[in-house]
Amino acid sequence: MRLIKQNIEHKDGSGTATLLPEEPEDMWHAYNLIRPNDLLRASAMRKIITESGAGSRSVERVHTTLTIRVTKLDFDPQASQLHVSGRVAEENKHVKLGGYHTLDLELQRNFTLEKNEGWDSVAIDTLKEAVSQDAKAQLWAIVMQEGLANICLITEHQTILRQRVEVSLPKKRAGSTDHDKALQKFFQTTFDSVLRQIDLANPKPLLLASPGFTASSFQQFIKTQAATGANKQLQQFLPKIIVAHSASAHLHSLSEVLSSQAVTSKLSDTKFARETQLMERFFELMRNDDARAWYGPKECEAAVERGAVGKGGGVLLISNALFRSQNIATRQRWVKLVDEVKEQGGEVRVLSSMHESGKRLEGLGGIAAILTFPIEDLNDGDDEGGIEDDVFANGDGDDHVNGFEGRREHYEDIEI
Amino acid sequence: MQRVKNIDYDEDDVYSEEEEYHEEPSYTDEDRESFTALTPVVRAELQESGLQASDKEIEEALWHYYWHVGKSVAYLKNSRTPRPQQPQQGKKDKEKPKSKFDQAAEESAKKAGCMIPFPSTASDWFQGISWSVIPLGIQGELVPAFAAYPRPQLLGGSSKLAKLAEERRKKAAASQAAPAAPSGALGSLDRLSKSKDVKENVLPPTMPEPRKYPIRQKREPTPPPKEPSPEPEEATEDLPDLRASPTEFAKTMATHAAPSQVAEAAETHMDSIFRSSSNEDPFKGPSPDDTVMRAQWHSKGINKHARKPSDGLLIKKTEALKLEPKIKSKGLDVPKLWAEGRASRKSAAAFVVIGHVDHGKSTLMGRLLLDTGAVAQRDIDKYAALLIPHTFVSMLINARRYQKQATELNKSSFALAWVMDTGSEERERGITVDIAQHPFSTLTTDFTVLDAPGHRDFVPNMLAGASMADLAVLVVDANQLESGMKGQTREHILLAKACGLERVVVAVNKLDATTPTAWDENTFQSVRSGVQKLLTSVGFQDPNISFVPCSGLSGTNVVNPAPSTGPTAWVASTSGTILQQLESSPPTSPPEELVKAPLRLQITDVFRGSITNPISVSGRLAAGNVQIGDTVLTQPSGEKAIVKGIEISAEPREWAVAGELVTLHLSDIDPVHLRAGDVLCSVDKPVAIVRNFVAQVTAMEALLPQGVDVHVGRLHVPGSVAALISTVDANGEVVRKKPRVVKGGDTANVKVSLQEGAPLAVGDRIILRSGGSTIAAGQVDRTGS
Repeated sequence: MRLIKQNIEHKDGSGTATLLPEEPEDMWHAYNLIRPNDLLRASAMRKIITESGAGSRSVERVHTTLTIRVTKLDFDPQASQLHVSGRVAEENKHVKLGGYHTLDLELQRNFTLEKNEGWDSVAIDTLKEAVSQDAKAQLWAIVMQEGLANICLITEHQTILRQRVEVSLPKKRAGSTDHDKALQKFFQTTFDSVLRQIDLANPKPLLLASPGFTASSFQQFIKTQAATGANKQLQQFLPKIIVAHSASAHLHSLSEVLSSQAVTSKLSDTKFARETQLMERFFELMRNDDARAWYGPKECEAAVERGAVGKGGGVLLISNALFRSQNIATRQRWVKLVDEVKEQGGEVRVLSSMHESGKRLEGLGGIAAILTFPIEDLNDGDDEGGIEDDVFANGDGDDHVNGFEGRREHYEDIEI
Repeated sequence: MQRVKNIDYDEDDVYSEEEEYHEEPSYTDEDRESFTALTPVVRAELQESGLQASDKEIEEALWHYYWHVGKSVAYLKNSRTPRPQQPQQGKKDKEKPKSKFDQAAEESAKKAGCMIPFPSTASDWFQGISWSVIPLGIQGELVPAFAAYPRPQLLGGSSKLAKLAEERRKKAAASQAAPAAPSGALGSLDRLSKSKDVKENVLPPTMPEPRKYPIRQKREPTPPPKEPSPEPEEATEDLPDLRASPTEFAKTMATHAAPSQVAEAAETHMDSIFRSSSNEDPFKGPSPDDTVMRAQWHSKGINKHARKPSDGLLIKKTEALKLEPKIKSKGLDVPKLWAEGRASRKSAAAFVVIGHVDHGKSTLMGRLLLDTGAVAQRDIDKYAALLIPHTFVSMLINARRYQKQATELNKSSFALAWVMDTGSEERERGITVDIAQHPFSTLTTDFTVLDAPGHRDFVPNMLAGASMADLAVLVVDANQLESGMKGQTREHILLAKACGLERVVVAVNKLDATTPTAWDENTFQSVRSGVQKLLTSVGFQDPNISFVPCSGLSGTNVVNPAPSTGPTAWVASTSGTILQQLESSPPTSPPEELVKAPLRLQITDVFRGSITNPISVSGRLAAGNVQIGDTVLTQPSGEKAIVKGIEISAEPREWAVAGELVTLHLSDIDPVHLRAGDVLCSVDKPVAIVRNFVAQVTAMEALLPQGVDVHVGRLHVPGSVAALISTVDANGEVVRKKPRVVKGGDTANVKVSLQEGAPLAVGDRIILRSGGSTIAAGQVDRTGS
């Protein structure tokens, strides 16, 4: 994303920023920047229906620039598209004030954003991150096992599952070659899918990970395909394939893969490496039941209050999903927390909820902290009670993208 | 008739003549009896029309027409008519252009010859075909038409039986040195009247004209109805009639719809056919086709109501058959059958072989199968021969096995392991990847070996095996106890317990390779105490644990007891051989409630059983019973399938009950709806699809809210621990609500969310793994949506 123009007043956070998204990943940043009630100005395509005096209707599509007050955002990670709905805030000759419109942000088209509540520190950090021109590491990864392959694109901020290949393989059976045949077919299907996804003209590294030998067998399969076919690009692609070990073919195994030495050395994604390292450290402390590691909104807030997340190793890990809250007060709560930790001299890491480490964090409620000194009784007196009754409320478990607010608020009895 | 045949001669006919088998009819006693009875009748008939025939001819005719007097007479009469052309003239003889009259004559003669002038025969062929009851409204107006060419024979003429009979007839005629002199008494005009007997139909039929004859003959007006003829036999001498006879097809069509006077005559025919009261009926018994059909019917075990061949309700039956499902349940009372046969049955047990990688599980099992005779030495030798040097070296490089030189010893170890390791990758790398299943029998018990992989990457497969087993055989390398204790010996013991196994036989393996001396008793004892401690700590009861010193490679103390002298002398004082230990493990019979419970079977494998059984699934019947013909439901796909066949240890069965390892052949389902890990259940009480559940688990490592792999037997799905609800103590009392972490060894109630719904029920044993290690195991306590 390129910053075209900005006039943000740092004192009160007022002002606008004009941005130019250049690549699909920028939509993700835009998704994290734009909040409900913000003013967004972008080019739009609007269908205008005019009715003449004689009653005949003519439909016309016009290009216009609209300013809307955002009510809803819809991000499609697969296609990297962002749809922003809202009500028109500035009248023009085509559209009346208050009319509804959904803007589809497009690549290579400017948009201008003005924050309703002003640009807070987190928003400014997000903006900085979005416009940073550092080389963006990208990587294809296939986590697989026999009969299952998840093909994903790993970018700096997201892990996007692009395709899932699932084939029912017959197990080994004496005197039958069905298993081998089906395995070859599975490799072929996966290979074809990969070719459809990957741009061989400008290939990113491909990481194959699996338990057992599936990944190396698949690498061998690709090599054979490259050797027999006339695809020159594929042959040049071969050195970019890395084979690693994963515990299973499921996506959450990716974190294990991505933190392995073989991968980090090639990835040189320092941000991600640091985050992964911190997550590992946090889990290690948890495993040892060390009271310096705490997770959960209330616990972390309490820890920050006591000044435990400060200078000398205090780290606050927070998922950016928390900042996407529809509720302004909730967002402000987290922004305040972040500011406080920064003030105390602690380290704040905003993890992408679309990335592997961020997903692990989400399991913990989206927020975790490593304290500078142990506090034993952070969650004492915290007996909301009746968790037995509410375990299945709000329970989709994997619906992480839309944040956590209200996650433990609405409980109801389940019938079994 | 012969003359007419000539016209049609083509290469096919010549060919078939050459191929014809020269078999003289050999008569049985029964035949002869029929001959004595029928020959005079036929002779009388012939004499009536002024013809003579030898006994032999009559017999022949009768034999070929299955003792049908009318047909035989007709045939004999025909054979005595003058033949202008001999069959041997062959196809090269071009027909002279024929006069219209001649054509018509041929037509009629052909009809008379090829279709025996008895409507009954054709009706017979059509009996049971329901289109004979076409309502009047939709019947076409049938008008006679004269074909300019010999018509293609419909149905009757083309039936294989008729063809065969005709061939035989021709043979017989040709083989007679001097064909019977045509009696001059019968002229061509006579022959034309052959079909007189069948023209009582009001609606003379038309034959469907083949398309290649576009020019239709001028149609005659519908002829006036004739008087019903008295009897078919009298048709022999009658007025010439140039009209073509109705086809057999049309006759059958008309049988029901014909006006009354005709119907009456037809009725008599039909009656005589269907009731088969007349002993003239050539199709009295079931036709060969019927016999074959019925045999097949029976062999498939489909039809309980055998079809009665000469039943007047054949049509009804045919319709009823169409409605029957392809595979019909016999409606057996399986629990009862099972309870009745309980005493007489051999006990059956499945055991899973577990242990650390490279401790010799597969080799030990290969040895066990070899020594019990389930596998022939020949196969082992074959495998040994297949171990060509370069593969072998690559195996050693690739992996692992022993750190010694590539000796003959290692080679035979691999050969034994190959009994279980049938996959190409397994053999190439010398490592078991997936469960191998192999049955073997002793005098007392039918065993099923489930050879589990030891490598940590394949623990999911080991879980699939452990969930199907009744007991476990833990293989421990006496020389490498330490590596196992840290690795999969420990994990497998935990998992075996988590899968609900209670009994474990510990095979202390590779005692022939102990240092400093082979069969060192101290080594055995130290291994024993170490493993025992671990087993007890996990929760196995002492009486359910037994230790057997053995060597899978040499086979000592596996099936055959160790020599009572030499270094192995002390072995006899331990608990016998592995096989003895297995046999002494009482295989538990499932309780009756379990057999009567709704069907539950977790699919461990979906495969192509054979050409006839393209979709087969295997697994252990966790509950309930199943029999051939049952309809089952697969979850989570929710598709129904019919059980086409059941196999246990490659033996076909009619039914199976809980606790058995079965292969079910399914039909009426697309294989995309079946995956390993899915559950087959009864249609009435299907297993629910669950996305969230509460489980009481024992943590093996620190358990946090985190992403986990959830295993339930073969099922392996991604999920997450969504919340830690409470930790509980041994009595189930809540120690702490909402703990921030569950430490290893603690028991806790946790909420687990799955990414996709999975078929789960309360009480299912679940195992949570993460990053390649088991972090918790337990049972489903409550299920949510």
